[in-house]
Amino acid sequence: MDKSQILEKLTAVVIDGTEEEAKTLAQAAVASNIDPLEAIEQGLSKGMTVIGSKFECGDAYLPELLMAAAGFNAAMAVLKPVIDAQKKKVEKFGKVLIGTVKGDVHSIGKDIVASVLDTSGFDVVDMGVDNPSLNIIQEAEKIQADVIALSSVMTTTMPAQREVIETLKEMGIRQQYFVIIGGGPVNQEWADRIGADGYGKSAIDAVALAKGLLAKKK
Amino acid sequence: MSNFLDICEKAIAGPIMSEKDFDMKIFMPKLKELVRKFGITYDKENPVPCDDQAADNLFQASLEFLESVGIYCQDTNRLIKFTKEEILDGIAKAPGKCFMGEGKDAKVFGMRKPDDMKIPWLHVGSGIVSTTEEMITNKIEAYASIPEVDSISIPALDSIRGIPVAAGSPVELYAAIRGVKIGRDALIRAGRPGLPICNLVSTAASAVTTIAASAPQFGLRPSDGWLCGTVAENKLEYGTMNKIAYLLNWGANVGAETAPILGGYCGGPAGTAIASTAYMMIGILAFKASYQLHFPVHFKYGCSTTRDVLWVVAASCQAASRNIPMPVIWLGYMAGGPNTKMYFYESAAWLLAATASGAPSVQTPHSAKAVLIDGFTPMECQFGVDMAKAATKCDRKQANELVKKLLEKYESRIDNAPSGDRYQDCYNVTTGKPSDAYVLLEKEVKEELSGLGISFA
Repeated sequence: MDKSQILEKLTAVVIDGTEEEAKTLAQAAVASNIDPLEAIEQGLSKGMTVIGSKFECGDAYLPELLMAAAGFNAAMAVLKPVIDAQKKKVEKFGKVLIGTVKGDVHSIGKDIVASVLDTSGFDVVDMGVDNPSLNIIQEAEKIQADVIALSSVMTTTMPAQREVIETLKEMGIRQQYFVIIGGGPVNQEWADRIGADGYGKSAIDAVALAKGLLAKKK
Repeated sequence: MSNFLDICEKAIAGPIMSEKDFDMKIFMPKLKELVRKFGITYDKENPVPCDDQAADNLFQASLEFLESVGIYCQDTNRLIKFTKEEILDGIAKAPGKCFMGEGKDAKVFGMRKPDDMKIPWLHVGSGIVSTTEEMITNKIEAYASIPEVDSISIPALDSIRGIPVAAGSPVELYAAIRGVKIGRDALIRAGRPGLPICNLVSTAASAVTTIAASAPQFGLRPSDGWLCGTVAENKLEYGTMNKIAYLLNWGANVGAETAPILGGYCGGPAGTAIASTAYMMIGILAFKASYQLHFPVHFKYGCSTTRDVLWVVAASCQAASRNIPMPVIWLGYMAGGPNTKMYFYESAAWLLAATASGAPSVQTPHSAKAVLIDGFTPMECQFGVDMAKAATKCDRKQANELVKKLLEKYESRIDNAPSGDRYQDCYNVTTGKPSDAYVLLEKEVKEELSGLGISFA
């Protein structure tokens, strides 16, 4: 296979392949001396963009998104050591800490956002569900997050999103983080009311929001 | 048939695996495989299918699905598995009915079949739609004053004394107890003290709050109904299992609460229909439930009235009502809010799809995706009752044609649906009566629907 064929197949395997196939193709890319960053940008990421668009317009669903992310990450596991050895870096937009707030055990929306952020060039740490506010803040400090993304899917757990922001203010560290929120009952009006930096209606919105906020920071 | 302790034992002794592996290696691949194997096909031209063989085929797919996949216990990281024989035995021995309410309002909640002209069990009220303390009593009294009501769904309290109710907090406990006492009192005010409340405990997100608020001195009775929820998809956790254990020991009605998400782990409509049908068997086997509250929802739109979710509702309702003896309350989330034509169009479409497909019970469709505080009024309840009764005059073929016409009226606006008015914006809060404008709107919509062929007479 020549370079263009390998790159096309890397795109295709993310859209509709298995982790094993993605790993094999990544190995083929390495063996063919294709620049690993090019393999990511012109191969794998293009596939994620296609799946992301299909997901947004309802032609693909969470299983396809997660399979795509699994394939992407399987290929990345092959390419990353090569990138490191070349002393290059995969540019990351920033670090996002994501979790569902205290009292809420819903995770599907949060999982989707985490997956899309991860494959869109962010370092993502996923705290899972039912996270007390202070735990979220302490983790953000530990990993030096740039963005804290909070999910709430019930009206009774939305106050916890406000609590995180208020606690950051009390600790005098509100300005160190961008806080973005999402979830079924959440909307822009709520985000404005509690002083969040943004509200994302969808996973793609969350990516654009995070990129926009971090661009301002720079 | 096993008892609940057997389920607890399975939860600690079943095969061990991570939750991620359950989702990625078991649940999702199996659904995809069975969609292909059984040829389950979403027909976007016919949101209300009329094919008994397809319904039974869907049931067979869901049977094989549950046998293969089981249920994941998040606290033990183990699978609760059932053999095919256990599942079939559970179905064979399920009573297919339960007893609810007291005195004059004591009734049997049983099954219906597709095309059944029997009026479904009418479960009325606002459920998870939060309300403020000032509005709650008027609302519940108004719901209970609708003569045809069989059971009530009381609203969750948003705050008490102005303090927001946070899940798992002592404020939630206060609010849960207060909500239950207010609910029972409002039913007495409406002259229906025996009416069962079937969405207990609405203000309680946590198990400890549910159990505390259920102490008999606060007014609840075993003939009421408690909702115990799964986690999407096919997952249980100890909080829910603790609630079930408590309620079964009391002899109270356990309601399995299940909500497959189209676009989530279930994938598209075909996979969601399989998972949706399987949930009724989970209700029988794992929850030992007397009844079930079931509400398929679209992941992206947060509502139940997209064409594909309507198909999931109709297809899985038919599969379940033909094959699984579980009295299910079917619930829909409308995108449009109170005092909007869109809400009524969606409600009509959803109730037609569910009722014609054999839903044993329908609940008042939730308005504005259930996220607007005080965004639910007795008008939606009355309309829901009238529409459910009208829907019994339609068979599946007729319902399908009507649903298609209704989709034309609202489908393109789902993503930007009007959230409508709060109760206090379209009702007189002193008299508890709707505004003239809202009365007129409802009348106009009914005339429009009658023009389409829906008979409210």
